[in-house]
Amino acid sequence: MNAIIALSLSGIASLFLGFSTNRKNLLITTLLFVLVALGLNLADWNHEYFWFNNMLKTDNLSINFSSVILLSTALVVAISRSFGDDEEHTHPAEYYAIMLFAAAGALMMVTYENMIMLFVGLEILSVSMYILTGSDKRNLRSNEAALKYFLMGAFATGILLFGVALVYGATGSFNIHGIGEVVSRTKKGMELFEGGVILYAGIILIFIGLLFKVSAAPFHFWTPDVYEGAPTIFTTFMSTVVKTAGVAAMYRLLSISFPAVYGLWGNPLVWITCLTLIVGNITAVYQQSFKRMLAYSSISHAGYLLITILAKTPNTNGSILFYSLAYSIATISAFAVLMIVSENKPKDGKPDESFEALNGLSVNNPFLAFVLTVSMLSLAGIPLTAGFFGKFFIFTDAFSNVSPLFKNILVVAILMSAVGVYYYFKPIIAVYMKKGEIAEIQLPLIYKITLIITTALTIILGIAPDLVKNMF
Amino acid sequence: MNYQPSDYLPIIVQLGAALAFIVLTMVATHWLGPKRHSSKKDDVFECGIESIGDARTPISVKYFLVAILFVLFDVEIVFMYPWAVNFKELAWDGFVEMVVFMSFLLLGFIYVIKKGVLKWEK
Repeated sequence: MNAIIALSLSGIASLFLGFSTNRKNLLITTLLFVLVALGLNLADWNHEYFWFNNMLKTDNLSINFSSVILLSTALVVAISRSFGDDEEHTHPAEYYAIMLFAAAGALMMVTYENMIMLFVGLEILSVSMYILTGSDKRNLRSNEAALKYFLMGAFATGILLFGVALVYGATGSFNIHGIGEVVSRTKKGMELFEGGVILYAGIILIFIGLLFKVSAAPFHFWTPDVYEGAPTIFTTFMSTVVKTAGVAAMYRLLSISFPAVYGLWGNPLVWITCLTLIVGNITAVYQQSFKRMLAYSSISHAGYLLITILAKTPNTNGSILFYSLAYSIATISAFAVLMIVSENKPKDGKPDESFEALNGLSVNNPFLAFVLTVSMLSLAGIPLTAGFFGKFFIFTDAFSNVSPLFKNILVVAILMSAVGVYYYFKPIIAVYMKKGEIAEIQLPLIYKITLIITTALTIILGIAPDLVKNMF
Repeated sequence: MNYQPSDYLPIIVQLGAALAFIVLTMVATHWLGPKRHSSKKDDVFECGIESIGDARTPISVKYFLVAILFVLFDVEIVFMYPWAVNFKELAWDGFVEMVVFMSFLLLGFIYVIKKGVLKWEK
């Protein structure tokens, strides 16, 4: 997996580049590093390899996930604008380096073959995110968020590790295919074999650890506070890269190691999925802050992604990838607009992140208003955007599953999508219909290009989803 | 490889003994020891010198940095031991891997020095 090596090395390189070049060059070089990693990643296409003594395995699915992650990383780096101009209190070289390391961790999480690599990847990603969350050192909210994230995340990782240990104890293997073989040799369903209790306890514990990382209810309580407290650019990174990596890691584990005990993890996951959808969507309705609303929206999208993990049809690979991609690009445009508008309109010395901050955006900034509208429509799942087809594929998967349970999930999911439309239209209404004064905002070129790319991609995937869907 | 839960009985006994010892000594010292109260005896910090100020004074962040760096380079030694034990079996592969590991660490050290973390007076 050359992309992981490249990302690790370029992370160190960008640490040292911080001593010599200015901020603008750093942005360009980091972007270049990520694109190089993306190229190296794609070079493995159609080759199934085991790497480093069966620690990692690249196949087309993992390469696709890696590509989504690296694309998101590249887009987030592109809108970072070198983290403001505060020379004394911001450290762009370090932020970029940590983001590159985090991306390396995320790639490990989607290509792991050995449970140890899942843990190592998860830790690299999480520890990087703890640091980035608290990177706005003088902001109390940011500090609070970092501490909360760290304490809760450390517990979740501990629980995951305990689960890994128990599964190893029961099956005698860290290798996910090896575990899968032992598990499938057990009797179908819930009957116990020797050491079965330990295996089941282990699976549930691993499950909890991973659900925490993708912020599914009832393990979502950290999400709104952390997303709101973290600097917006890192919130963007968190809600795209971390979520994609978490879902991919979970999918890889459940589809390779534990399909034989579907009854064990499937039943709780049904409830968790419904709860996630309901909690995420209903709570998002009541939010006053746009950023917090997006945090709850990310919880609800975790719910949609869980549906397709549950559905287990041959199309699941494609659906989950398409949905991650559609969600990531729409989220990046939404956060990008929020970031640039809120920074331009400080309230009490801090960026104003409420819906009111967007009032009247369309008057002087029609481009930003359009970008925001497309991303909101895509997140809500309105036709002609990528989000519509993302939801469409997922609902089709759920529908094609014969289990009557899925009709129930489908009802909840469709109802909750309808709720989603309500709160996703709030910013659109604020932008076009409310009165407000926002002067014309000067967009840096790279920012503008990024927004054009994400918006165009959202629309293109909404008109011709087969372009990408067939690739998966 | 076929352990019964009862095989772990010695561990429970050991655990019980350890807990019992702690409880016993705590209770015993509580009952056996004489108690004297005076303003000096009840002082928070009894060492003969009158305590000044609060224990919660801000400490320079440099101490923490040095401490955390110490832990980092200390833990790294842990990886050297298994390598040293298996030095011959690992042969050149192991050597190359160790060199890679050490060079990463060294880069980190150079970064720390260039950042001026170890400059005490700044």
